[in-house]
Amino acid sequence: MSDRPAVVRWLATPRFVLIAIIVVLVAVLTAVKPSFLNGAFVLAPLITSITVFTVVGLAQMMVLSIGHMNIAVGQMAAFGAMASGISFDLFALPLAAGLLLGLVAGAAIGALTGWIIARTGVNSFIVTLAMSFALLGLVPTVYSALSTGSAFVVKPEGFDLLGRSSFSSVCLAGWCGPAAIPLMVVPVLVVMALVGLLYQRTRWGRELLLTGSNVTAAELSGIPTARRIVMAHTLSGTLAALAGILLATSIGSFTPSIGDEFMLQSFVGPILGGTLLAGGYVSVVGTFLGITLTLVIRKGLELFGVGIETLNVLLGVILLVALSADRVREIRLRRGRAPGSAPGRPSGSTPDRTPDAEEVPA
Amino acid sequence: MTRARLGSQSITLIAIVVAGTVLLGIASGGDLFSPVGIRTFFQFLAVPILIGLAQMITVAVGQLNLAVGAIGGVAAALAAVLMADLGVPPLIGALVPLAVGALAGLANGWLVVLTRINGFIVTLATMTILLGAQYALVGTRTVSADNWQPLAAVGRATVLGVPLIFLAAVAAAVVVALASRYTRSGRRLLASGDNPEAARLLGISNDRSVVLAHTASGLLCGVAALVSLAALPGVNQSVGGDWLLPSFAAPIIGGVSLTGGTVAVLGTVLAATVVRLVDTARAEFQLAPAWVNFVIGAVVLGTVALDRVRQVRAERRRGAARAQDAPAVDTLEAAR
Repeated sequence: MSDRPAVVRWLATPRFVLIAIIVVLVAVLTAVKPSFLNGAFVLAPLITSITVFTVVGLAQMMVLSIGHMNIAVGQMAAFGAMASGISFDLFALPLAAGLLLGLVAGAAIGALTGWIIARTGVNSFIVTLAMSFALLGLVPTVYSALSTGSAFVVKPEGFDLLGRSSFSSVCLAGWCGPAAIPLMVVPVLVVMALVGLLYQRTRWGRELLLTGSNVTAAELSGIPTARRIVMAHTLSGTLAALAGILLATSIGSFTPSIGDEFMLQSFVGPILGGTLLAGGYVSVVGTFLGITLTLVIRKGLELFGVGIETLNVLLGVILLVALSADRVREIRLRRGRAPGSAPGRPSGSTPDRTPDAEEVPA
Repeated sequence: MTRARLGSQSITLIAIVVAGTVLLGIASGGDLFSPVGIRTFFQFLAVPILIGLAQMITVAVGQLNLAVGAIGGVAAALAAVLMADLGVPPLIGALVPLAVGALAGLANGWLVVLTRINGFIVTLATMTILLGAQYALVGTRTVSADNWQPLAAVGRATVLGVPLIFLAAVAAAVVVALASRYTRSGRRLLASGDNPEAARLLGISNDRSVVLAHTASGLLCGVAALVSLAALPGVNQSVGGDWLLPSFAAPIIGGVSLTGGTVAVLGTVLAATVVRLVDTARAEFQLAPAWVNFVIGAVVLGTVALDRVRQVRAERRRGAARAQDAPAVDTLEAAR
């Protein structure tokens, strides 16, 4: 396996499979429904939701990298968005300050969650589940106490530019950008690059992955695992808040229902993209592609007038099929590869620890 | 040791239930103890108990079931549509939720065992699929309970002022308690949950335990769906939508170990009662429904933290006890 050329190895990654499926899907959709390529009305909303949900996927990926979960990802998004909404609505802060406040709120709630997990040693599933209960109670209560009509609607300057404008409003020497690509893409690309750099180039990122692949080994090699756990959850909360705020800018107001749909998608993206549930391996591009695939399918179904229920059924089936295929691939890899490949390499679905190692009694 | 800990948890919960009932009774000016008050309280306690037990069984084998609400919802929706649109008699219609629940649970178990995918993801996927199916079945309409009047009559029936459906839930709890303690499958299931490797070496099939746990969990969701069918004025797509979080709250507060291998039926039932009390208090003081979530979330966080503290203390005590028996070297070790 390892002596094969890099191209062949790349072809075997989930990312290539995802790209191939997406390309075929887009081609088919365009051929059958030419209106799919309508820039302002189909592509722009599609790309907007891809950008928002990619951030949601990255928020989940952060904690998956250490082998944890964040069930409260949607509620953390709602909490962060709420903080931003309050700062605009009640304190009339400018855009940047409000954004920062929302992100800090998300980071704080994530840090609290991570601290509880690291301190008590209780399963992250339970702690984040309880946190989601608590926030599910807190957020609507705050909204109904502080706003009229359960929404914060005050928009600071630049709010619509971030959420609802496309490159068509960016003109240079008489030539304007395409209306299909929203401006929101820019900050999200920066975030993706930063997350990628964190895992690929920094010591912190490597330590997160090591904590995820084997917490005892990480502890023994001198990594402050408790601090890394808090860090992963803090970043997860921050990214969730960012996704919540971006969603709010795209729909034009802050409401308590922000984040309701985040939980399932947050898992689907990273998992389709090849991130291991047991921790130790992540893929930023894979997460983006996984999210893109599901949202393209969703848009396609919408164009054909197929209801949301079929979409749900399909999402569930895709998840199961993709993971079963992943198992087959993993077993093949295990047979074919010599031991000792580093985790986190593009080809490294480390076979020494399987995703089900904790859950399924074998 | 384990039993003593669970016992103390149950005693705490009983104290909370008694204190809460008394306080609420006083706050409501005795309304809680009126026949109507008692009936309403217990009528809406049946489902929390059943879904708590459904989750408890999967947790006991070291799995999770995210699909509790979706299984219950789809089971209730299918039975409702069959009885309302196809004229299936209520007697047969009452069996539909049980069959759907058990089959869905069986499917979950098989998927986990065959694909070896994490149980969390499998049930997340089946949850999505079943939610889609539920929506496809009932769409945006509400199927009225007039279509199954005999069942609705059972839902209203009381024995000495206590709703029949609550007694059914208690009966289910007794069955689960007995099965987990006295049947061979029950003991095997707990052994698989406690230590899969040791269970395997004893010749226990962990796969069978997992499938059994998921099937039993699905069946209990089906019973909860049947109870909802009998108690609610109609069935729509919202049935089961709010089951997931309470289903975890009851076993966790009730003292079930999240790592598997234990059950606490009494604790789960008591914890469900506490949650119901919170809900009743919310209605009494006319607070927003969101408050219940907040309180439950805080209580669950508090419980897991307390549990941890208790564990650490118990370990220390054990260490100290060992130190008394052992020579001085060990005493030094324990003192550290």
